[in-house]
Amino acid sequence: MSEKREGFEAEALIHLDGLYGLALRFTGGDDAAAQDLVQDTMLKAYRAWDNFQSGTNCRAWLTTILRNTFINDLRRRQKRPVPVEFDEVAERPIYPQLRETDPEGRFFERIVDEEVIRAIEELPEDFRVPVVLADLEGLGYQEISEILEIPVGTVKSRLFRARRRLQQRLYSYAVEMGYIRGE
Amino acid sequence: MTHDERPPGQGVDRGGGSVAGGDLGCEDAMKNVFDYLDGELPPDYSEKVRRHIEMCKRCYPYFNFEQAFLDYLHDRGVKPARSDELEERLRTLLGEVDTEDAEGCD
Ligand SMILES: [Zn+2]
Repeated sequence: MSEKREGFEAEALIHLDGLYGLALRFTGGDDAAAQDLVQDTMLKAYRAWDNFQSGTNCRAWLTTILRNTFINDLRRRQKRPVPVEFDEVAERPIYPQLRETDPEGRFFERIVDEEVIRAIEELPEDFRVPVVLADLEGLGYQEISEILEIPVGTVKSRLFRARRRLQQRLYSYAVEMGYIRGE
Repeated sequence: MTHDERPPGQGVDRGGGSVAGGDLGCEDAMKNVFDYLDGELPPDYSEKVRRHIEMCKRCYPYFNFEQAFLDYLHDRGVKPARSDELEERLRTLLGEVDTEDAEGCD
């Protein structure tokens, strides 16, 4: 095995599972698309490996390539995005229902990981991508605005509405499972 | 229902009148909950919100709740996934790049 290949396996390939998980969030659970995305990312990274400074944060670098690759694809296939219609019930805050029984939101911790992952993946794309960038990757509004080429105000409102939808969905699930008393 | 038992965003003094401490009202504080928790407010305004929620027994638990939700999302949302098939295919493709590289050197 070449020295380049050895270095790549040791520093980059070890992040494969993490990248694949992130790719699934981006693609909304579309496994074939997620695998393609990871594959493109890793190949781009390998071809550019000589420029990578060994010892710097490889995971962050790979994540940036993956994100840019995804956003470029997104732009290419998106014609005119249809605005996600406001859904009063799905976007209602849940805190008022919980302030007496679970004001600390302990019920979240009882929900299995698969359920929150499904909830994220099933968000409309316009909502899902800002959530992945902000809540999973920890990027700021300005950065997201530049990446998605939408105004900061739009980033804020999409995030706000997406989070409300996630909360409602997790709340319904928790009621269904008997973790909290519904109203 | 006493003043302190109203759910957020409902029946709060319009115009952002102050309920407890500071020069910011509950409505203004709650409206900015995500901006505040995301660290996206201008520093002086953020400080006003901080002072308000510290003193306000209505906003304090609400902000805590939303923070718990965001923490939960961050902790559970990124979960690694495993695919042996993907790894195998990738190793083959990397091998092809190695071959290209080797040929390029000749
Ligand atoms: Zn308040």
